[in-house]
Amino acid sequence: MERKTIGFYLKIYLKLIAQDIKSKMSYRADFIISTIGMVCTNIAGFISFWILFQNFPSVNGWTYYEMLFLYGFSLIAITPVQCLFDNNWSLRINVFSGDFIKYCFRPINIFFYYQSEIFDVKGLGQLAFGIGTLAYAWYKLALPVTALMVIKTIVFLITASLIMMAMQNAAAASCFWIENSFYLLDLAFRFKDYAKYPVTIFGPVFRFIFTFLLPIAFIAYYPSLVILRPDEVPVLSWLSPVIGIVFFYISYRIWMYGASRYSGTGS
Amino acid sequence: MEPIIQIKDVTKEFKVLNRREGIKGSLKDLFSRDYKIVRAVDHVTMDVMQGEIVGYLGPNGAGKSTTIKMMTGVLEPTSGEIRAAGIVPYKNRTKNSQKIGVVFGQRTQLWWALPLIESFKLLKDIYQISDEKYRSMLDLYQSLVDIEPLLHKPVRQMSLGQRTLSDILAAFLHDPNIVYLDEPTIGLDVSMKSKIRLLIHALNEQNNTTVILTTHDMGDVDALCRRIVIIDHGKMLYDNDIENLKGLFGSYRTLKIRTDGDMNKKAEGIGAEFPDLSVKVSEDDEWISILVDEGKIKVMEVLHQLEEKEVIRDMQLDEISTEDVIKKIYEGGEA
Amino acid sequence: MRKYLTMARMGIMESLHFRLGMFVLVVGNILYLTLIYYLWKAVYASSGTDVVNGLTFKDTLIYLVLATALYSFMEMYTVWEIGRDIQSGKIVLDLLKPIEYQSYLFWSFSGSLIVHFVCVFLPTFVIVFIVTKGGIPLGMNLIWFLISVVMGVVINFCIDYIVGTICLFTESIWGINIMKQVIVLLLSGVTIPIAFFPEPFRTVVYYLPFQAVYNTPLKILLSATPTLESTGWMLLVQFFWCVVMLLISRIFWLVSLRQITVNGG
Repeated sequence: MERKTIGFYLKIYLKLIAQDIKSKMSYRADFIISTIGMVCTNIAGFISFWILFQNFPSVNGWTYYEMLFLYGFSLIAITPVQCLFDNNWSLRINVFSGDFIKYCFRPINIFFYYQSEIFDVKGLGQLAFGIGTLAYAWYKLALPVTALMVIKTIVFLITASLIMMAMQNAAAASCFWIENSFYLLDLAFRFKDYAKYPVTIFGPVFRFIFTFLLPIAFIAYYPSLVILRPDEVPVLSWLSPVIGIVFFYISYRIWMYGASRYSGTGS
Repeated sequence: MEPIIQIKDVTKEFKVLNRREGIKGSLKDLFSRDYKIVRAVDHVTMDVMQGEIVGYLGPNGAGKSTTIKMMTGVLEPTSGEIRAAGIVPYKNRTKNSQKIGVVFGQRTQLWWALPLIESFKLLKDIYQISDEKYRSMLDLYQSLVDIEPLLHKPVRQMSLGQRTLSDILAAFLHDPNIVYLDEPTIGLDVSMKSKIRLLIHALNEQNNTTVILTTHDMGDVDALCRRIVIIDHGKMLYDNDIENLKGLFGSYRTLKIRTDGDMNKKAEGIGAEFPDLSVKVSEDDEWISILVDEGKIKVMEVLHQLEEKEVIRDMQLDEISTEDVIKKIYEGGEA
Repeated sequence: MRKYLTMARMGIMESLHFRLGMFVLVVGNILYLTLIYYLWKAVYASSGTDVVNGLTFKDTLIYLVLATALYSFMEMYTVWEIGRDIQSGKIVLDLLKPIEYQSYLFWSFSGSLIVHFVCVFLPTFVIVFIVTKGGIPLGMNLIWFLISVVMGVVINFCIDYIVGTICLFTESIWGINIMKQVIVLLLSGVTIPIAFFPEPFRTVVYYLPFQAVYNTPLKILLSATPTLESTGWMLLVQFFWCVVMLLISRIFWLVSLRQITVNGG
């Protein structure tokens, strides 16, 4: 049998997503409330941010609008994880109930098949919120709008998303080994809140940890430098697309390894 | 002809955590854990030919599901070899999936919120089924069962029977070499059971699909399987024709009757009349149950003789259960 | 009472079984607290003054660390539990148990509450005390603090219970839960001390029940110059919220139950 092409997977993906959206629409109340919940999360996050800057005009040499830029950037960067990898949250429940076994019998990549089952539409609200914030900060900072800048922004946004996905995949996959993996996943999810601060505020040890071990500094800080401080971009910023891909690949392997260890509890 | 499934001396062991009791035990568990090794499948060997329907029986926890999981590639055997349709399943789960269909327990593999036809369309894409084949398969289904009302119903709104039926259809859709059915008739009513049995039988005949069927229901076995394999405590107890089993241990059925008067006395009378049969009175003194070996005497005959003397108020006929068969095999083995 | 204790005991054993979960929880909190430490350090360093809104860096840090510890011991994901019980229809079985559902939930959570208090809050408390070289005053305030924490737990549970009851109508667990979580986090002063809130936002927040969950116990604990009057007043307000929330949650639940046919029941 021939190897399945990207085209094949793309086609399946679009069909699965279309079906998922269709079925989501059949639970309309849930859909609306979840969207409101998402908006609430974003507004609350923004309010905390705003309160902090009411008291302190700048943090570590970063102005309000620069921080706002980081904030918007991180919001956009976490949208793909929200939209495309939301089924990771149910992984733990599927594994414990034994329902995960149904994903083992399809002739397609199990990671792909599992993730493609859910598309979280409400993440799009977050995307809009993020884009709005980013555009506002961009305008206030009087950054130039050139094709190069936009391309740079997009490339580095993708990079940042990959890192976020990697963290979530790895955290979710932990349920193949440990019982209460919800805490880990929740932790990974909470980290994103701190991704929006410049990594320079941390001491050297933690700067190392957040750069190389738990790469949250790549979610917003390093990529944003390329746009915000073009004169002082460290090598790490330019490396971040590679790092993003590497981390994503590692997390994918972890996930797949966990799935191959899965033995199917129950009956 | 090469067997489609070859299982050679396969063993599967699991590490199971020993949990200690009480709060003190929990605290101990926090710091050290001790595991014991449980052998779920113990040196099992069997070959299955293309087109066979094999009944795979055994009590709960006997190792049936573990064997199936190894055959489908979900689990890797601790030792031994498995080949299914020319593939070592656990080494190439994806490729193996293309060649098998699975209905696992009562867990549907269909998309919960979607109408059946949408699930079918997705499966068509995932398994890369050609338009032609897909259409002929749907036509076949149409000729076997009335699927039209099911096609446009979301799976979550289906009854258990409809869902099982749909799951079976979905498992056969890509014309796999082997289909694994785990307890397909569990929890269904009599008419649905027979409907599903007929369907499995027809699908097996149409495409010469090999079917591995695990079940607790001897009715399934009687209706579908020529060959049965019995496993208990991970060990294979029996692998032969169903006729052979019946020949070895007789085909037992339990006849239960209710008559007027004192049951215990009547039972004694019946026992004297049929010295070969074991006659018991149920605990609530409601029924007299007679274990009949149909190889020796037909149930109808017993009933006929009884009717001449007694007024039979009510009667029931129970099939012998898997558990009883296994008990018989143990007893037979010892004798 | 015995049956409640049995349930609490079961809860303790269950949480202990989650060894790795526990470990992750501790590590996670340490990392999280590190983030808080550096963030606020940078914030104070940039402000140029030592005291902002009456709080020094040390005050703020002690407050936030203890708030986080309190939060991770009090947040029991009750809403998820209720929501899941409702969706799976298991709630029907729970309603048939010879214990009223609200008490049943509370007592089955109480076990893990105790474990989390001992394993998460106490160590944090001791560490903070040692690191800050006695930054937490020790005295009668400890007793008042414990009383206040218990009331905080009850209020928090009632908020969860009210939110969980909404799940009876919407079947939307995630949306409801996330809304509750962010609102409680923000308005109870866990993420940012309420003292930093600008007016009139701050005044509004003081009139809401959320601050009674985390802010009140911490204020009682950390107040440098406590007077019996101020402590008593805070406890009284908290007690008021306790009673009000208990009543609301109970009544809302009973009224809702009457109107709803349970899913899958």
